Amino acid sequence: MPYLRDTAEYPTRYKRETNMVKNITIFTSNTCGYCQMVKKYLGTKGMTYDEVNIDKHPHRQAEAQSLSGALTVPVTVVTRHDDSQEVIVGYNLARLAPAVA
Amino acid sequence: MADSTEVPKHDVIIVGTGPAALTAAIYTTREDIETLLFERGVIGGLAAVTDKIDNYPGFPDGVEGLQLSSDLQKQAERFGAVIELGEVSAIHDEGEFKRLTTTSGDMLAKAVLIATGSDYKKIGVPGEKEYYARGVHYCATCDGAFYRDKRLVVVGGGNSAIQEAIFLTRFASHIDLLVRSTVKASDVLQHELDDYVKQGKVTVHLGTTTDEIVGSGEDPTAGVNKVIGTKDGQKVEFETDGVFVFVGLMPNSQFIKNTVIRLDQIGFVITDEHLHTNMKGVFAAGDIRSGATMQIASAAGEGATAALKIREFLEGRPHPIPN
Repeated sequence: MPYLRDTAEYPTRYKRETNMVKNITIFTSNTCGYCQMVKKYLGTKGMTYDEVNIDKHPHRQAEAQSLSGALTVPVTVVTRHDDSQEVIVGYNLARLAPAVA
Repeated sequence: MADSTEVPKHDVIIVGTGPAALTAAIYTTREDIETLLFERGVIGGLAAVTDKIDNYPGFPDGVEGLQLSSDLQKQAERFGAVIELGEVSAIHDEGEFKRLTTTSGDMLAKAVLIATGSDYKKIGVPGEKEYYARGVHYCATCDGAFYRDKRLVVVGGGNSAIQEAIFLTRFASHIDLLVRSTVKASDVLQHELDDYVKQGKVTVHLGTTTDEIVGSGEDPTAGVNKVIGTKDGQKVEFETDGVFVFVGLMPNSQFIKNTVIRLDQIGFVITDEHLHTNMKGVFAAGDIRSGATMQIASAAGEGATAALKIREFLEGRPHPIPN
């Protein structure tokens, strides 16, 4: 049911919908066990994602570093419909789970 | 606290999913003992983040740690084991059932296997914490790729340090291996290391302590640029772009520190010869167990033993509980 801007629930629903996940990108490497865990977790939630493997695409390593400020993978970038981004470094369920909820 | 009748009940809950845990799950589920496993980190534990495992029986050419872990997981799941991604934060003895506090809520289990393994120790020197993941690392298979054609320092002289230093040669231009006393890795690994030393890829510095990790500037994101150590009473410096630390293991037993389950001085779980802890119905196996050999093959064996002992316990054939 469409909601109206003059209803009391508009601000909450508007915020929720603009904050929905638009896409997820995971920076990974061939040998990284924690990267598999991030992919597995998103798989259990039925979520799709783009994967950037820095062994296959070394030129994108700097991008992962720039986003995370760290020299490690996995780096998971959750982009929302309002184009805000959340960057999760490592396999950190406490941050990953709410970020994609 | 929720009433027991509302809390999910399980035959066995295994905390951890390393080789001990997954082997135990293969054994319990093959005997139709319903089994739930909890994993807060990576399925396979430290084995999953080890590049290559050369001493696990049945793999004449060795096996990648990630592959072995994945296969163990598949084997356990084939028989019905269920893995929950989450954390157990406490275990309480409620008689017939143990109550586990988890990220998925409270759960009850007739028997519990603690198989949380261990993690790499920190060295506790200035700079280690400040530059964590920004030049100081504990997982070569995760972070090694960031050091293509860079200089590295690896700290440690045991099997893990040598194994990971060898792995890192595929990326690094040169590795300084800082060993506090002597190299204690297996002969096979030492011979393999010798090849890299002869090629000039690795320089081994025996009797060298690691005293400080120094950054490129005040900003920790700028990374590290040298390690300061001591050799023969003299200060020594090693220029480097990153530091990988493998100086032994510490037990993942924080979640049971405030329970009655007995731990040794370091924090490993004390069991009897049946792998039973002093809390009735709670067992321990693998690297978390006091006296464990820290070998994947041993962990798998202990997992099998624990599963058989758990079966005996569930069938009402328990042995005496240690004091």
